[in-house]
Amino acid sequence: MRSRRPFFRRQKSCPFSGPNAPKIDYKDVKLLQRFVSERGKIVPRRITAVSSKKQRELARAIKRARNLALMPFVLD
Amino acid sequence: MSYYESVFIARPDITAAQVESLTETFKGIVSENGGTATKDEYWGLKSLAYKIKKNRKGHYTMINLEAPPAAISELERNMRLNEDILRFMTIKVDALEEEPSVMMRNKGSRDDRGRRDDRGRRDDRAPRQEASPQEEKPSEGGDE
Repeated sequence: MRSRRPFFRRQKSCPFSGPNAPKIDYKDVKLLQRFVSERGKIVPRRITAVSSKKQRELARAIKRARNLALMPFVLD
Repeated sequence: MSYYESVFIARPDITAAQVESLTETFKGIVSENGGTATKDEYWGLKSLAYKIKKNRKGHYTMINLEAPPAAISELERNMRLNEDILRFMTIKVDALEEEPSVMMRNKGSRDDRGRRDDRGRRDDRAPRQEASPQEEKPSEGGDE
């Protein structure tokens, strides 16, 4: 483990796939909060490892939550 | 007929009972136009993430509907006219939730535990391009 290559990349898997994956819902603010940055921006999927289909669904849910003032558009 | 979820935010200076009567009015509009309201949830007076019409808080209510499109447009027209409504959103869903939604389930336990350790993880994750070895050591010390 110590003598690992410096640029080793762990295989990541989508947090929304698998048997007991959470359902993406605009009402579940707690879940959505994990996928926005400190500033309230949607985190790109290369960082969160969400699959592209789920990322689209997630982005839609976050935007719905923002519209209902459940989540902020900007945080500063 | 399709399934819809309608959420509206009412002004904070009206009472919960008035919100209840608003909900009943809207359900009445839907049933007059040939739809049915299967469930309504009052999420309570929640603080808004940003100000809407100079209000910091609002009464959130969600109504689950099975209705024809004409009923939805009539419902939305009435919500638009009503001055007590700060905002509303009606979306089409594939299936209606029977059990209480996430909002109702989480209302009792308002712990920040989950959110805080997520935030910590996000802090070190967002700026870094590649994991530094020193950072990884403490978390994976167990498997040596």
